[in-house]
Parts: sequence; structure tokens; C-alpha cells
Amino acid sequence: MKMKRTMLVALVLAAAVMLTCLPQSPAQAVSWQQIPIPPLPVFKPQQPKRIELPNGMVIFLQEDHELPLIDGTTRIRGGSHHEPASKVGLVDLYSEVWRTGGTKTQTGDQLDDFLEVHAAKVETGGGPDSTSINWSCLKGDFDDVFKVFVDLLQNPEFRPDKIEIAQKGMYDAISRRNDQVGEIAQREAIKLAYGADNPYARVPEYATAAAVTRQDLIDWHGTYVHPNNIILGVSGDFDATAMEAKLRAAFDSWPKGPTLPQDKDEVQYHPAPPGYYVISKEDVNQSTIHMVGLGIRRDNPDYYAVSVFNEAFGGGFSSRLFNDIRTKRGLAYNVGGGIGANFGHPGILQIEMGTKSQSTVEAVQAVDEDIENLAKNPITEEEIKHAKDAILNAFIFRLDSPDKILAERITYEFYGYPADWLDKYEAEIKKVAAADANRVGMKYLHRDQLATLVVGNTKEFDKPLSSLGPVKEIDITIPPPPGEQGQEAKPTASNPEGKALAEKVAAAMGGLPKLQSVKSLHANVTESEAQGPPTPLDVTIAFPDRMHVKVQTPNGDLTIVLSPDAAYMSMPGMGLRSLPPAQKNEMLDELHHDLIYIAQHVNDPAFTFSAGGNEKVGDVQTTTLDIGGAVPWVRWYVDPQSGRILREDYKGLGQSGPFHGETDLSDWRAVDGLTLPFLHKNKQNGQETSTSEFKQVQFNPPIDPKLFEKPAEKAGTTP
Amino acid sequence: MTHRALKAAAFLLLLSALAVAQDVASFEKRITVKKLPNGLTILICQRPEAPVFSFFTLVDAGSTQDPMGKTGLAHMFEHMAFKGTDKIGTTNYVAENAALAKVEAAYAAYIRERDKQVGRDERKLKQLEKAWKDAIAEADKYVKPNEFGKLIEQNGGEDMNAFTNYDETAYHYSLPENRLELWAYLESERFLHPVMREFYKERNVVIEERRLRTDSNPIGRLLEQFDAAAFEAHPYHRPTVGWMSDLNSFSATDAQKFFDTYYVPSNMVVAVAGDVKPAKALPLLEKYFGRLPTHLQPDETATDEPPQNSERRVVLKERAQPLYLEGYHRPDYKAKDDAVYDAITDLMSEGRTSRLYRSLVRDKKIASFSAGFSGLPGIKYPHLFAFYAFPLPGHTTQEVADAIHAEIDRLKKEDITDDELKMIKTRAKANLIRGLADNHGLATQLATYQTRYGDWRELFRTVDRIDKVTKADIRRVSNEIFVDTNRTVGVIETSPGGGKQSATEPPAGQGGAQ
Repeated sequence: MKMKRTMLVALVLAAAVMLTCLPQSPAQAVSWQQIPIPPLPVFKPQQPKRIELPNGMVIFLQEDHELPLIDGTTRIRGGSHHEPASKVGLVDLYSEVWRTGGTKTQTGDQLDDFLEVHAAKVETGGGPDSTSINWSCLKGDFDDVFKVFVDLLQNPEFRPDKIEIAQKGMYDAISRRNDQVGEIAQREAIKLAYGADNPYARVPEYATAAAVTRQDLIDWHGTYVHPNNIILGVSGDFDATAMEAKLRAAFDSWPKGPTLPQDKDEVQYHPAPPGYYVISKEDVNQSTIHMVGLGIRRDNPDYYAVSVFNEAFGGGFSSRLFNDIRTKRGLAYNVGGGIGANFGHPGILQIEMGTKSQSTVEAVQAVDEDIENLAKNPITEEEIKHAKDAILNAFIFRLDSPDKILAERITYEFYGYPADWLDKYEAEIKKVAAADANRVGMKYLHRDQLATLVVGNTKEFDKPLSSLGPVKEIDITIPPPPGEQGQEAKPTASNPEGKALAEKVAAAMGGLPKLQSVKSLHANVTESEAQGPPTPLDVTIAFPDRMHVKVQTPNGDLTIVLSPDAAYMSMPGMGLRSLPPAQKNEMLDELHHDLIYIAQHVNDPAFTFSAGGNEKVGDVQTTTLDIGGAVPWVRWYVDPQSGRILREDYKGLGQSGPFHGETDLSDWRAVDGLTLPFLHKNKQNGQETSTSEFKQVQFNPPIDPKLFEKPAEKAGTTP
Repeated sequence: MTHRALKAAAFLLLLSALAVAQDVASFEKRITVKKLPNGLTILICQRPEAPVFSFFTLVDAGSTQDPMGKTGLAHMFEHMAFKGTDKIGTTNYVAENAALAKVEAAYAAYIRERDKQVGRDERKLKQLEKAWKDAIAEADKYVKPNEFGKLIEQNGGEDMNAFTNYDETAYHYSLPENRLELWAYLESERFLHPVMREFYKERNVVIEERRLRTDSNPIGRLLEQFDAAAFEAHPYHRPTVGWMSDLNSFSATDAQKFFDTYYVPSNMVVAVAGDVKPAKALPLLEKYFGRLPTHLQPDETATDEPPQNSERRVVLKERAQPLYLEGYHRPDYKAKDDAVYDAITDLMSEGRTSRLYRSLVRDKKIASFSAGFSGLPGIKYPHLFAFYAFPLPGHTTQEVADAIHAEIDRLKKEDITDDELKMIKTRAKANLIRGLADNHGLATQLATYQTRYGDWRELFRTVDRIDKVTKADIRRVSNEIFVDTNRTVGVIETSPGGGKQSATEPPAGQGGAQ
């Protein structure tokens, strides 16, 4: 009832207001045309001081005493467009783990603790052309925070645990990349404009993200992070002379690195053929439409006329697109676009909008009309005046803070533009005439040269998109991770080449009779994780399904037992635990992937051996051999000459979920009639995780039958 | 005390010394506040760093004030505030005004027929629709499209925009300082003589905005359902953008009524920050904003949300990756424990030292991101403290929920450490300082605090309030609020056939102007 009363009161009030409203208004209100606009005071913003060190590092110092803060920002040459196609995502991972992985002397977590308690930030980042490391701190903390900055700049450690977190984050982003229609449209529009394989368009896949190793991150840092590739800008509440002395003390002795090759023209652009492209998405009621082509670079002399054209055609409230598509036709909430321009590489010519499914074709046609109308009704003097006024009157907002000026200067320095480029920009915009704007519009924007992408609920469209022209469907299915991909393609039967190769492997290991005589074995192994001290393992296996592993740890022996009935783990202070079925199965799979076990069964029809293609492992051209049937899938990479297995591929289950495993086998040694690899280098999802070195192997050892029983609960103290 | 804590303590001393330059006293000198006779509050903050200024007009009315059956009206009016006045955007206001009155009459007749439950005459409906659209075409003849926005743009307007949320409606942009008077004219004029021109086309634009943000976005769909579940009685249960059927029903007359009721000068604060001299600026602002007619504050009694007594759950099956969200009812922003919630937000969510990051992302490796925050969906009325997480591939929403609950249990059972408490307080001070560095941010914050507390100085007192938070406060509040029966859960589960959008559009004839 409360609500009703409120409404009633509101209505009564509203009526009263409407009565009193008019008489209260001034009889002769001023008009906006009569309001004087005095000239803007001359504003010469302070330019930063530029310093070039002998080692090539460029420093800009911008004093700004408004607040007691000191911030630093860098631009370092080399970005994701330089990363290899097989490792797309490298720079993203690098730019996260550079910070989270810590320095040689401090972990990323320790840095977090230190910085957060000071409300300070040191963060790293990466983009298509450059990477960065920035800081922000209260001025009293500058010395401490700057130390962290320098340490991270020069001594990053890229600790593997943080690589794992970054990679998982990337897998998560990949898995979510088709959830939002806007994200899909933007990503695919860029691919259409630049070409799907263009370094500015491509995106990480599970496989390319997984292929990035710690060494890649170290190598990237080693290649690019040298003083001669770095521009450093410092702004805030400091004295420039004192700051210069501090920075020189920190960086003068840093040796110059090799000069990077100029790569400006290496990148290839292959825009998609003009026409219609569609991505069907049933869970939306609005179509997202992008019409794209290749744009220009800012050093193009047409850039200024293009800027004015863009403002008039697809910029703000006054633009033709906004007025026609949104205001006049009410077809879209967001609509706009223009001939895009970047500093280092061509921008994207792009017109984008969102419209309800039922007006999709109507909206595309409306934009088409607006483009065609440019020829019939060129942009008028009045429109040009308005566009230039808008740009020039807002020009002050590019200079209204010392930070903005600093950022502009760093950009010009990075891309080799003149330091006074912004002044030139203002002067050139003033010169643009209507004829110039119309000329560039005609030159770059052609309706029949655009690739039109529609992401939407195709069944609900007003007309089929094909009524406009031939339509190509774009498949945005996310390629599954390499391990899961293999699942589909995995052979389920042997082929003769596979059988022959398996027999060759068995022969090279010492022959089938000797292999089959091994019923059990005992091995001493040293396992080294990427971090931490080597761990001695004592492994006893009784084929086909029993295993006992003793791990020496500083807190006492950890024991793991696998038997057909159950699996256990016990450790002092932790007591005895039964392992969950998933882990038990994982251990059994590992046991069944033992080389001897598989080689014992080369003639067993329950096992399948299928030879596939050739793959290089190191310098050796190997033949792949997929094994399945009675054992979970594993792939051997066999040297056809020697019959030795150089690598294994398999799927594993780790502490944090399924992974794609890869083990390189080497150091083959003869033991009691068999030849076996003594060195196993293990990778998970392309990341080096551990090395297993066999110290000693013994076949058919005497085994205490109690070894595979449920271990007694060990007393012990919690460390 | 550990070495780290010692350093933090030393830092706090240093910081309080530094903060002198950014305290209330220094801002007293730079800030002028005046409440005009009509009730409107003007706030001017001098910041002569560059010859520009930003403003922020805050109207203390948002979608919470939308009338029943007319959700989305506050937001709709915000769009209309860009459509011009009786002098801007028209070739002949007298004729246009008459034409607009005919549009309203035709629309009312059309809606009456359309919404007849019994005996609707389809032929008549078609005629009425045509009459309405013809009336629109007639009124459109007098329109100078977007003249208001164009004027601002042409004069160098930067970041021109506006927003509506549950609590308030706000308008903002920046201009070169020589346009202060022009701005004062335009900004007062839009609230003196708003004209509901091109209303039904703009309504279609707003409907597209709804499709963009809510209907075609799995997270948008979840949030709408989540709010509706968490709030049963208070208007926070309705979407700000409006339900589709309301959007297809309300009229320009309704929007005008909303304006007349809620855009009361005493409900408005206009803050200006930048290169403005109060001696010159204040008289100008008084002259222009003083013109707004005064009238009574609307009656704003609304239903209070009753206490929740059982967990509520919303599960959306979507063609999207999983998401977990949960919210607990808490009192409004004026509650004495407000700063305690701020402290909990910081502790749980801020940066890589935050508890949720360390637990879910770093240690358990089950989520790509997780955080907790206050203010869903607003702050003015009792609202929610929410937690959320994006599970990593291969992990479930239940796993991340369990991990969040484990962290909440820690809040309830263990005191936070001295280091953590100090970190929270240090960051509150540093964040305040960082927020003072630009005109737009200053104008926004000053207008907001002036509106919410009646005194801009409260912005600087937030730090004092956080300083008073104790470990016991955090445990007490966590035990009070974070209980199962006070919880609403919202989940996105992945389903290949989920989220299907069929022709949920209104039946033919209800789509508004095409």
C-alpha cells in the first residue's frame, strides 16, 4: 500500500509543478548564441626533460608537484607481433610472469607483500609492439620501490609456479572467449581486416599457450630488455636534477645490448575479400555488425584529413552515422566508426553497430546508404567546420596534465615521430578543407571493398544475410588442447608398420624373451623438480599392477603404495591416507606406460601399435607409434634406425587437473641384458616440470610380500 | 611485531606527515559550496593546473524511483536530457510543442487499445498505430537533430556522458575554461526546459541498449535474475534499464512526469572542478542554476526489504563458461559499520595479497579471478555484499564456492593480522590521494559525498573511518552478515543449448516506432 501512496503523492505534486513551472521561467531567457566566449589563455604546458644515456636508454623527467607521488613508466621495444606463430601468447605470459615470478632474490609473493604494505605498485605489461614495467608510489617510498623496479627490470626469475598460474589464466580466457558477443565480433573483425594469421590479429590457442616454456620467457627478456631498447618516463613530486643523478647512478653502468633489426615492413596484411561473413549465435537478440577494411598509419599525410572525415562521418553526436542510424532510424544504441590510424602499423577501417536481430539487414543497408551518400552528398562546409571545431576545441584535453604530455612524448620517441608532432597535428587539422576530407573519404572508404561481419541470431534476421550477397560462415569453435585433440584422432587398431616398429623397439631393448622374463623390478631414481632440491626415490614394481614408492623428504619418508585393491600414502605427521580413485588410476596408468611393460606385449593382440608420420625430435627424424588398447593412449617417437624411443607423449592427471605430458628419453644404458633410458625429462603442457635420473635398476629382486599391503600408520611429529 | 609490520608502522607515520597537503584544511581553501535559494547545491573546486574544467551534475533519483509498471523511466529521461530544450534542437518550438501534444494523445489512444484484455480491435489498433506514427512524423519536422550534443561537441566537450543507476542519475563532461558560462547556460537549460522530442525513437535506442547489456550477455542475464531474487520487496529487485514490456509501454508524458517529480533543485548537486575562480564563477552559476523552479521534495517512502530467512538460488544454463556469484544483505552506506565493509573488501579483493586471490588463484589454482565487494546493486538503501569467482577450466562453481566460504569462515573465526589491518589502512590513504589528481574524478567524488552526506568533507573522513576499524569489528560484522540464510547465490552453468533467445520481442504492433 505504501507504494500506491507514494505514486499518488508524486502525481499530485507533478500536476502542481506543471502549473507553477511556466510562470517562474524568465520571460526572456538568453540564447546560447549571445553568450560570450573569451579567448582561452595561452597555455604552454611544461615539456618533460629528455636525457639519453651513453648506453642508449632514453629518459624523460616530468616534474609535477601537485600530489606527493612519483610514478615511472617504460616502453621496451619488442611485443606480441614479434612472437613466433607457434607460441602466440608468449608476450602475454611473459608480461604477467615477469612480475609474479619475482626476482633472483625475492619471490613475486614477497614483492607483493612488500609493495602492498606501502600501497605501492610495480607492474609489468605487454602489447603488440612493446612491453612495459611501471611503478607508482608515494614519494617517501621512492628509494625502496625503485630498488624493486630495477631488480625486476634486470633480474627477473620467471618462477615456474607462476608460469603455471599465468598459463591456466590464459586457458581460462581462451575457454571464455566466445561467451560475449562483442568480444567475438571485435576479435573476428580484426582478423578480417588484417588477415587471420597477421601478427596483430592472431590470438592464443591452447596449443600455442602450452608451447611457451620458461626458457622462452628468459630468452625474450634476454633479447629485448637492454637499455638501448628502453624509454623510461618518470613523473611526479621530485627535483629533476636529483632524479637524473639517481637514474644515472642506477643505469649508467648497464651495458648496451645488440641493436634490434628494424621490422616495420615485414608484417604482411591480407584483408579478407569483400563480402558478408556471419557467425551464428543463438543466445542473443541483437546483431553485432562490423564492416571492416585496412586503415592507415599516422605518418600518412592523409591522416589529418582522415581525422576530420572520421569526426564528420562516424564520430560523435554530430556525425552522419549517429544522426542517421541512431537518431533518425532508432536502429542502434552504439553506432560509429571511421578510418582507423595507428602509430606503428595500419589501423582498421571499421564501422560498427548493434541492432536487434529483426533489423539486421535493414541496418546493414542503412550504413551502405550512408556510405554511398558520401558521393552524392559530399560532406558540407558546415559539417567540416563543426568537425574541426570539435577536434580543435577539445585539443587542450590532450595537454591538460603533465602525465598526458609525458605519455605522448614517449609514444613519439618510441615510433620515431618528431617531438613536436602534437603541435604539427593541431596546425595540420586547421588546414583541412572540405575537399580534403571528401577526397580521403573517397580514397579509403568503399562500400564494395568492405568485409561485413555479422554476429547474431541468424534465424531471427529480418531477411537472410544472403539477400545482400554471398555469405561465408566463420567457424569460431575453439580448438581443444593438444592432448584432447589427439583423443579423436587416436588409432584404435594396429597397422603392420606399427607392429614392425614395436618389434624393432623390443629387439633394441634386448629382445622379447628377456623382456618377458622381467616380472618385477627395483630402481633408485633421483627426481628433480624445476625448483627445490633433488629427491631420492626408491621404486619397486611388480607387473602388472603393484607398485611401492618411497620418497625421502626432509620430514621423513613418504610412502606410496599401489595395489589392485587400493592405493595409500603415508607420511610422518600426516598419517595414512587412502588415495582417491582418480589418483589410483593415474598411478596405474603410469605403471602401464612403463617401457618394459609395453614392450613385453608387442605381440599381444589386446595392445594396438599404429605407426604414423615422421616428427623431428632434436635432430633425429623419428616415426610416431601410437599405442593403445589394453593401456591408455601413449605415443612413442621412435628412431627407425636404432629402434630407440626418444620421446613419449601421453595424457596425465596432475595436482591441478589433466595435462598433456611429454617425456624425453636419453642416456640409454645396458642393465642385466636390457638397454634402458636412464634420463627422463618431463614436461607438462609444454612446461618443463621435472627430471628423473635412474641411478640403479635391478630385475626380479627379492620382494617382501608385505610391501604392497596397507602400510602401518607411522608415528611422527608434525614439523 | 615482525620486521614487515615495523616497516609498515614507520610508513604510516610518514604518510600522515605527507597527507597534510591533501587534508580537509587544504581543500577548504580551494572549495566553495553554496546552497541556492531554490535548494540546488553548487560546489566549486579550484584546480588551476590547466585551462579546463569538468563538472558533475548529480540528481539524487535513480531507477529506484521508477514508478510501478514503468521501470527504466529514470534512465529513459537521462537519454532525453540530450535531446535539447525549447530553444535548442527546434526550428519552431510553438508548433513543435503542439505537434508533440498530438503525439502523446495518439500514443495514449493506441496504448489503450493495445492493452485491452478483452475486445481488442486489430483493425482499429492498426489505424491508431498509424495515427501515432503520423503524429511523430509531423513533430519530427521541427527537429534539429542532436543540436544540444553538437553544441557541446563543437565547443570542445570531452567525455560527454551520463549514467543512471539505482541510486542516482548523473551528467558530466569537460570543457575549456573559456566556456564556463556557455556550460552553465546549457546545463541549467536542459533541466529548465527539457523537451521530450523524438521520444519513441530514443526509446528504441534504449531497448537496443537493453539487448546489448542484458539480453545478449550471459552475465547481464545473470545479474538481472540475481537482483530479482535477492530483493523481493525493495525496488532494487527491478532492472535499471527496465523490463522489456515497460520499455514498450511508457510514454513521453510519463518521462516528463518523472522529471517534474524528481528533478527538484534540492535533489541536485552540481560540482565543478578545474581552472575556475569562485569569485567569477559563483555569480554565473547562481544566475543560471538559480532559474530552476523550486518545489517540494517528492515523498520517497518505499517498501523496506524484509529480512531474508532462507538461501535463494538462481542457476542459469548458458552457452558460456561458469561463473559463481553470491550476495549477503547488509545495511545502507550510512550504517556505522560501513567502513568495516570497506576494510573487508580491501582485505579480500585488493591485489595479489588479497585473501581470495591467494586462496583461489595462487594456492588452490581453481579460479582465474575472485573478489568481494559492497554496493550491489546500489548503496543508498540496504544492499548486498557480494563475492564472485570465475572457475578455471576443469573446476566447478561448487569448488570456488567452497573456497570462498572457507575464506569467509576465516574472517569469522580468526582475527586478521596486524600487517593486514595496517595494509588496509595505508591503502585507503594512498587511494584517496591518487583519486585527487584529475578534474573529473574530483568533481565526481565531491558531488557524490555532498549528496550522500550533505558535506563534501566526508570524502576525506573516509580514511578516518577506516582507521577506526578494529579486528573485532571485522569478525563481528562477518559473523552477523555472512550467514547461509542471508545468502543469494547466482550461478552460470555451461549448457550447449542454453541461453536461447527466441522471438521474445513483443507481438507485432508493440515494437514502437520502426
